[in-house]
Amino acid sequence: MRPQILLALFTTAVLAGLLPTHAHDEPRAKGDDKPIVIPFELLKSRHMALQVKINDKGPYRVIFDTGAPMNLVNNRTAKETGLVGQNDKGASLFGIGVASKTIQKFQVGAITVEGMPTMVIDHPTVEALSKVVGRLDGLIGYPFFARYKMTIDYEKKEMTLVPNGVVPGDTMQLMMKKMMGSMKGAKIEPTILAPAGLWGFWVDKPQDDTKDGVIVTEVMPESPAEAGGLKVGDRLLTLDGRWTDSVSDTVLATSFAKPGQPVTLVVQRNGREMKLQVTPRPGF
Amino acid sequence: MIRYCLVTVTIGLGMAFALKAAEPAAPAVEVPYRLIGTNHIMVRAKINGRGPFNLIMDTGAPAVIIPKFVAQKANAKPNDKQWADFESFQLEGGLKVEKVRARVEDIPQIEGMNSMPIAGVELHGVIGYELLARYRIQYDLSRDKLVFEPLAFEPPPLVPLGGDGASAIQTLGPIVNLAKALFEKPNYATQARGFAGIEYEEKEGEVRITRVIPGSPAAQAGLQSGDIIKALKTDTIASARDLHKALAKATVGSKWRFTIIRNGQEQEIVVELGKGL
Repeated sequence: MRPQILLALFTTAVLAGLLPTHAHDEPRAKGDDKPIVIPFELLKSRHMALQVKINDKGPYRVIFDTGAPMNLVNNRTAKETGLVGQNDKGASLFGIGVASKTIQKFQVGAITVEGMPTMVIDHPTVEALSKVVGRLDGLIGYPFFARYKMTIDYEKKEMTLVPNGVVPGDTMQLMMKKMMGSMKGAKIEPTILAPAGLWGFWVDKPQDDTKDGVIVTEVMPESPAEAGGLKVGDRLLTLDGRWTDSVSDTVLATSFAKPGQPVTLVVQRNGREMKLQVTPRPGF
Repeated sequence: MIRYCLVTVTIGLGMAFALKAAEPAAPAVEVPYRLIGTNHIMVRAKINGRGPFNLIMDTGAPAVIIPKFVAQKANAKPNDKQWADFESFQLEGGLKVEKVRARVEDIPQIEGMNSMPIAGVELHGVIGYELLARYRIQYDLSRDKLVFEPLAFEPPPLVPLGGDGASAIQTLGPIVNLAKALFEKPNYATQARGFAGIEYEEKEGEVRITRVIPGSPAAQAGLQSGDIIKALKTDTIASARDLHKALAKATVGSKWRFTIIRNGQEQEIVVELGKGL
């Protein structure tokens, strides 16, 4: 049993796949950075469908799925577009074949992406859905949309894309590492969360306290927290819009806030809600 | 999460219910999200005042879907068609959504993900079309927030599809069991990194201490403003990045040997990390 296949099935089947992806030299769409509007079809199943070209063939009709970490192309379409040879066979589990391939040229609307990873799989649900809504050729997700600031509007039935410079990462490697460290018998340590900067305060919460927020137990001298007006006894409700209902959520919230950027803290003090601005500094 | 769709839609046969359009002219709300270990976009929600629950933004799902254990925790009672109306639904960032309902169903995908150590968080469901379509939503993975802008628009309702999607989903059952057999249960516990009380600047390949918080572990150990951090234990430090990498597993109470340069002299100072942000 190869864990990759298991992983692939969960995330393809389930969430659409994680076989090795490739780093891309060309994350940006061709052309300039003007917004590109792409109409979508709202299927009877209430999925979004796009018309795409794969290696200059098509158009093909694919589902657009923000819940899919991997693109999928079915075997028939993969053969038509030269993604796989006639006798190409991938790995298989429970009778479902899986292969990891790269689309040399992927086009949707005015966008061309070169080197887009995909899995080739006859996804049972895509097949079943085809019978209801008409031919579907696959499914497009994270490796495509991560590259854009994307706005989805169901009223106009269109998505608007502007390249954002993000290069979709290779989650497979990360996940495989995590999986290998978690086979039966492994000792699994808690995750350590680190603030991105230095704030100069600490919080706590009694076990039997079920209300929102945490209580500030320490504000350090000369610290950003002190400069921002935070006081011991304040009940911290949110930090940069993130809920701080536990100590670990508070640490998590500070992990997203980059040093040098002012952040709003919402606290309750003497029964009144107030907003404070704190700018964390580089430190630890 | 395409697998859900057929099942959900087919089982939800013939349900006529009207979703009221969102109130017009409500302002856009920034909703924090995390890109989790599976490259899913996860947001947090409080349902009926309980939670927060971890939900995946999923245009491949027809509705909000939560497994039974989550429905129980959220005190959401499904009707005989497996739909539960929420009394309140709030997304992190302050977005209150009226009249949200969820399909209550143990979907193998969520169970499977929760039996493998890949997501890094316990997952509690997905947010699909019924809710997503009520907003114009901006996704930008170069930022740490999504933007939800209410639409004055009543999305077309779900319709029965027919077909045999329900049987397709069953094929995942054995795979969930396989995952459970192969892996230790994921550990979602977290702890804060240890705290030193040092501010620094990074310049020309050096990390120089610019302030030591009075009374902090660093102050007690004798570190001073102006000290240049050359190494942490055996890791050479030439940038903030090096520092954060070296400290990635630094727990509260752990001891760290700082190699510093002060007045041209190399020195070693051991700091026992404490609690702090």
